[in-house]
Amino acid sequence: MANRTYEVMYIVDPETPADKLTKLNTAVGNLIEKEGGTVVRMDDGGKRTLAYPIKKKTEGFYILFEIQGSGQEIAELERRMRVNDMIIRYITVRVDEDRKKADKMRTKRETRAAKRSKFRPTEEAAEMSTEAAA
Amino acid sequence: MIDREMEEPIRDRDMMAGSEEQFGDKAPRRYQRRRPRQVVPDYIDWKDVEFLRQFIPERGKIMPRRISGISAKDQRRIATAIKRARSMALLPFVWE
Repeated sequence: MANRTYEVMYIVDPETPADKLTKLNTAVGNLIEKEGGTVVRMDDGGKRTLAYPIKKKTEGFYILFEIQGSGQEIAELERRMRVNDMIIRYITVRVDEDRKKADKMRTKRETRAAKRSKFRPTEEAAEMSTEAAA
Repeated sequence: MIDREMEEPIRDRDMMAGSEEQFGDKAPRRYQRRRPRQVVPDYIDWKDVEFLRQFIPERGKIMPRRISGISAKDQRRIATAIKRARSMALLPFVWE
C-alpha cells in the first residue's frame, strides 16, 4: 500500500455562511477518513483577497488539508470538489517526494560539512600543535 | 481625398523603416546577473508567497535564470511553485 502525502487546497465562495463552511470542512475530513486516508493537518487560511477574480469573486476562504493515504481518497475528493458549487478552485499537490528529496539534500550537505571540518584543524588542535612545536 | 488618407500612413511607415535613427540610438541590451549564486531552500513551498515574490519582477513574469542567477534545477522548482501559486490566485498572472 502506497503511502503518500498530499496537500489539498481549495477556495470557498466568500458568501458562504460560517456554519456551512465548517460543515463542508468536516465533510471533507470525514470523506478522507472513510476512504482510508488520514488527515495530518487542517488549516483554515481565512478570508483572503484573490490575486485575480475567479467567477466574478475577488475574495475567498482558503482551506488547506494535508492528507496521508494511497491516492484513492484524492480521486474521490477531487470528484466531489468538482461538482460542489461552494468550491471555486482546488489544487492537489503530492509533497512526499519533494520533501524526501529535500531531506536527502540536507543530510548530504551536513555530512559534507562534517567531513570538511574534520580536515580543517579546530582551534584546540591548532593550540596543541603550537605547544608541541614549542 | 480618401485615397490620400489611405496612402499617408503607409508612406510614413516606409520612411521610418528607412531611417537609421529609429534603432540607432537604442543601446544594446545588456543584462547582468543581479543576484549571483542565490541560496534556495531544499524544499520550496508553493504556498510561501513572500518567498516566491522575490523571483517575480513588477510585471508578474517569472524572472529568467540569467537574471535570478540560480541553478537550472532550482529555477525549475521555483517555476512550478510559482505556477501552482498562480492557479490558486495566490499570485497574479499579470500585474497591470
